[in-house]
Amino acid sequence: MNTPEKPVPPVNSWTAPYWEAARKGKLIIQKCRDCQKYIFYPRMSCPFCFSDRIEWVQSSGRGTVYTYTIVRNNAPSAFLADMPYVVAVVRLEEGVQMMTNVVGCAPEEVHCDMPVEVIFEKLTEEITLPKFKPVKK
Amino acid sequence: MDDLKGKVAIVGIGEVPSGRFPEREPIVSAVASARQAIIDAGIKKEEIDAVIPTAALWSPQYNTELVCCRIVEELGLCGKARMNFQVFSGGSSCCNMLKTAAGLILLGLARSVLCVHSDRLGTGVTGQGGIDLFSTAGISKEWEAPYGLHYSAIAGLITQRYVYETGTTEEQLASVCVSNRKWAELNPNAMFRKPLTIEEVMASKMLSTPLRAKESNVLADGGAAFLVTSAERARKLTDRPVYLLGEGSRVTHFALSQEPDMTRFAWAEAAEEAYRKAGLSPEDIDVAEIYDSYPVFQLIGLEELGFCKRGEAGAFVYAGNTWPGGKLPMTTNGGMLSQGHTGAGGGVALMVEAARQLMGKAGERQVSGARFAVVTATGGTYMDSYVTILGTEIP
Repeated sequence: MNTPEKPVPPVNSWTAPYWEAARKGKLIIQKCRDCQKYIFYPRMSCPFCFSDRIEWVQSSGRGTVYTYTIVRNNAPSAFLADMPYVVAVVRLEEGVQMMTNVVGCAPEEVHCDMPVEVIFEKLTEEITLPKFKPVKK
Repeated sequence: MDDLKGKVAIVGIGEVPSGRFPEREPIVSAVASARQAIIDAGIKKEEIDAVIPTAALWSPQYNTELVCCRIVEELGLCGKARMNFQVFSGGSSCCNMLKTAAGLILLGLARSVLCVHSDRLGTGVTGQGGIDLFSTAGISKEWEAPYGLHYSAIAGLITQRYVYETGTTEEQLASVCVSNRKWAELNPNAMFRKPLTIEEVMASKMLSTPLRAKESNVLADGGAAFLVTSAERARKLTDRPVYLLGEGSRVTHFALSQEPDMTRFAWAEAAEEAYRKAGLSPEDIDVAEIYDSYPVFQLIGLEELGFCKRGEAGAFVYAGNTWPGGKLPMTTNGGMLSQGHTGAGGGVALMVEAARQLMGKAGERQVSGARFAVVTATGGTYMDSYVTILGTEIP
């Protein structure tokens, strides 16, 4: 049986800078120039104050695991070969939350509120996915 | 918005058994459920001037038939029905169908509204096909799907944080499935009716930690319908109209990662609104039809709707309080964990069950003297929180 291709995120005009930065190993997020709030995932306008004066800023790349799950069985077809893998919601220091994978440790070592930092995994020539690994003590 | 109270009522319900029925076309489930609801209400079908089918996920072609008035034609309402249109928000569709029906009736745009659902998720999609369908439906293509997210993982993520914050045990979570099964044992329309034990749940395969296979809903074929009319008309049809007393709701997110509190969502706000409109409090509720799909949602529901203190719902269910004969009968059709998950129909079945209990037509599982029921529903990746309060009296 052929393993289906992994889903590749579509890129559009307002998300292109994010993917371009990820390709270069940088995690950037948006910040509203008017209300000063951080924004993730990238939006066309500020979801807080509706301003369209949005800038890109570099994230510290550090955060904590808000929650996680170890996928052991019944994954989508494209991910069956990856089991067990960890899906997690990471809360960045800037306060925004993102869906991601935690890698670089045994799945059993992951826990809620665990400090993590960003790493990058190439998916295609165009797309590199930010993922997270435990911060070494 | 507050003057919905007691203005419309559910007067008829219909439902076909949930499960795997390869020979049963979904249109048959839809029409059979609709017909039952009309006969149950005791009205002439010509009184129905609006038909609201919710969406079916199994096949775009079947769904288009629902959009294109097939139910109107099958019921012989051509030239008489004034409108047929879909209302769809996934699992919370039932609440939006009822609200839409209420609005049409209150504005004088319709007299009686038939809300109907049917789908074929049990035999229409295969096991892996079902997992793959639910790794795209409602999941962000850009920000979530690339990480291997799917519905068991969503339930795993939510359960993990809930357990972390509340100390709820695996046995307590498993006991929710047992509670639902005890009700399903008494429900001839349920897919799973064999007794289930906590040990069996705990011994089932781990899917996405801490969620196990028997804590996951199973996709099913099914259909259900409910008929809504004005309170005035309802009182002429029956001495037990099931009035809409109050409703409250909030939409919280599209991408699950954007939800700031996965152990609460917006149930408390939605419930506060619904109780206020109905003039009732949690102590007044006789039956709680809490949307399940996974056990953690019933625990969150019990706490956020004010039936239990934060972190105590697990012990409350484990002690048998939500079982048949318990203090707070919960999800009395067995829910999606036992009656089966028919897509948008999971919520429709709970709305129908609430009405059935209040009408006194729940047979072996009838909660005696039930006057007030609460129904919760949510769609997609738990993207919205809907609370509806129904009753046979207007408090």
